[in-house]
Amino acid sequence: MFVTALPTIAQMVGANRILRGVAITHPTGDPSLPPDEEHEMRVSLVRRALEMLGTEVEARTVWESTS
Amino acid sequence: MSTVVHYLNQFFAGLGAEEAADHRPVHLDGPQGPGRGLAGAGLTVDATLACGDDFFGEHEADALATLLGWIEELDADVLVCGPSFGSGRYGYACGVLAREAGRRGIPVVAAMTSDSPGVLAAEGAAYIVPTGSNVAGMRDALPVVASIATKLAAGETVGGPDEEGYLPRGLRVNALVDRTGAERAIDLLLAKLAGDVATEVAPSGDRVSPPPPVDDLASVRLALVTEAGCVPQGNPDRLPTRHANVWLRYDVAGAETLAAGDYESVHAGFDTAAANADPNRLVPLDAVRALQHEGRIGVVHDGFYTTSGVDTPVATAARHGQEIAAELREAQVGAVILTGT
Amino acid sequence: MEPRLADLEIATFAVDEVVEGTQTGWSDGRLTLALPQLAVGAGDPALAEATVEVVRPGDSVRISNVLDVALPSARIGGALPSARFEESLPSARIDDVRVHRLAGVAVLTVCDWAGAGFEGAEELPDSLVDMAGPGADRSPWGATTHVVVRCVPAPGVEVAEADRAVRDAATSVATTIAEATGGATPDDVRTIGPMPPADATLPAIAAILQVASEGPLVDTFLDGEPLGEFAPRVFDERLLHEGRLTNGAYDWPGVRNVTAAYQDLALLRKLRAAHGERSRYIGLILAPGYLDGADQKRRAAEASAELAAGLGADGVVCTTFSSGNSHTDTMLTVQACERRGIGTVALVCETNGGLTDHVPEADCLVSTGNEDELVDAWTPERVVGGDDRARVGERVPAVHYLGGLAETGDARWTAMPA
Repeated sequence: MFVTALPTIAQMVGANRILRGVAITHPTGDPSLPPDEEHEMRVSLVRRALEMLGTEVEARTVWESTS
Repeated sequence: MSTVVHYLNQFFAGLGAEEAADHRPVHLDGPQGPGRGLAGAGLTVDATLACGDDFFGEHEADALATLLGWIEELDADVLVCGPSFGSGRYGYACGVLAREAGRRGIPVVAAMTSDSPGVLAAEGAAYIVPTGSNVAGMRDALPVVASIATKLAAGETVGGPDEEGYLPRGLRVNALVDRTGAERAIDLLLAKLAGDVATEVAPSGDRVSPPPPVDDLASVRLALVTEAGCVPQGNPDRLPTRHANVWLRYDVAGAETLAAGDYESVHAGFDTAAANADPNRLVPLDAVRALQHEGRIGVVHDGFYTTSGVDTPVATAARHGQEIAAELREAQVGAVILTGT
Repeated sequence: MEPRLADLEIATFAVDEVVEGTQTGWSDGRLTLALPQLAVGAGDPALAEATVEVVRPGDSVRISNVLDVALPSARIGGALPSARFEESLPSARIDDVRVHRLAGVAVLTVCDWAGAGFEGAEELPDSLVDMAGPGADRSPWGATTHVVVRCVPAPGVEVAEADRAVRDAATSVATTIAEATGGATPDDVRTIGPMPPADATLPAIAAILQVASEGPLVDTFLDGEPLGEFAPRVFDERLLHEGRLTNGAYDWPGVRNVTAAYQDLALLRKLRAAHGERSRYIGLILAPGYLDGADQKRRAAEASAELAAGLGADGVVCTTFSSGNSHTDTMLTVQACERRGIGTVALVCETNGGLTDHVPEADCLVSTGNEDELVDAWTPERVVGGDDRARVGERVPAVHYLGGLAETGDARWTAMPA
């Protein structure tokens, strides 16, 4: 599945499992957080990505990184 | 007098059938097989180049070097490829040869089914006449091919796809019109509000259905892929920062994280400072490892795949996707996390 | 309660020929320029050099390192109060605000930033206007006589200051030559004021003008100050005609909004012309593009849509600023408006790879052309603006021709399937 801060572009090119990333310059990171929290955030985001991989979806579905 | 070069596979060039599929490239004088049919449609073929479909598929660089060398020596004004009809290997060879000839400034006409792999492989470089799936379509295809090739060889303008009978190449050609964009915008909007919706441009329609969910993540092999241009520090294999026509694979077996200083991003389309300070912000290896240790994922694939997605033509990106997917399938990867900027 | 605002009058003086002479003046269609006296950039320590020359359509000239084009324009009489956003919208009644403009001649600014050694400037794309040859019609400005102001920054000057000096030099020339029309009788007078009442059954249309302010050399200015971050807001069109929104963004020339475009947007002219006939023009919204985060983009899009709804729009025309992720801002704005029942049309340019972004609701788009299309090579007799980055004798992608693909809809290029 596809992690990106620009989910509309992902939908346009036909990606089906799309997870909204944090920002263009750091889709799976957040430099504004202290390192420990950032790591936790990233683990949580990837956990959500795995959840999406394990879920039946309709075409071009966008999930947020927090449920 | 213009020089017309015709590319055929082993079968249509009369070199043999499937048993000759490994035939090396050959250069024959004048028209062969369907080339004689082109003569009947007014196009004289000066030279025929032929190659076995399997030889091309298995020795692509070698075959291309030979064929393109001949095409340049012959100083071709136009290259005709096929018709390859529904053939996958032959169509692919026609498409790749068309693309490479196109890059060298040689106009190309091909003919194949609209879903042939050659259409995508050509990346818009050829005028492709759509055909039926087998040789029964030869009689209809040749006059159309001849007509377009004649114009190209003479340096004449070729009209639009509908007018001339070729598949839209995915190209969009600019035209100066009477009304400004502003006038057209207002006209279109007022028509839409009155119930008549039209548009000057729409996204291209390549759609894939969502694959079924992974049914056992705890035993799946998961790979990481990125278009964020993440490469080892120093970019040892010189991944282009834009217009990348390659993708690369780097080994992360045993690595728990992508350490700052070991990796960098060379993507020209965004400010890479945050990513360089922690490459996991582009390729979340540390998080994936954590979840692997937790038992949420089975195996993390040894390699991660990378390219830089800036100014990359869609057809090239589609090809990269197909190629990477083929490797992943071969390695029995069942799930991918792709990150993009 | 709407304050009563006076009209802005635009007096236009046609220029059929430009000649050099001892005294700058305008008479009966002839503009005489005393070039040495124009004192371009005189005394500005931020400039090492500033020159002026006249270039005409048909000249075998390629102008390179082009930054901006502005219509010669001068305020005669009073002025609207400051347009800064932190102050309230002008509410005082103003009298006799008249702008004198010249038609048929423009002020074109040239500066080779990369040649001047500014860090990052080598990333700025080559920027051309051809006055003849195969590329002459690729920029609308190939058909206009230009007073070309070429500047060289002084060494050691900070980039924003150098840019300010260049823009000021051009503005000074543009104002001086427009002021030469003094008390003469204009060829045309147009009034920009509140729209007259119109048939309420006609659809109400608003314009959403997207601009971006991303820092030195990629900036947009209001009254000379960078716009910076701003929330979408209803914007007084008269400020555009007064020339108070100016361009300082020097990336992709083909889709660049030059100052001249802001001064006289085709979109607003056409909406006013259609008012009472086919539609009702109900206002202009200024919206930010290139916002950095997905959330920011969405919030701004929703805010623009709210403003449009508040104006009573049945439909909106959405413009785009340049290439890249600003297209996402446009698409999200389209989406937000459509979800409120407001019909949209958006203007976007294309690439060889198709559209940069799209949403399902964007069913009505104007294509301003394909950026990537190659234009035939040309070798002019002369290059004005520097031989570096002038691409002489090379095929050039359409995106390098100034304003040819502008997504405000001011040009006439589009793309067709092939």
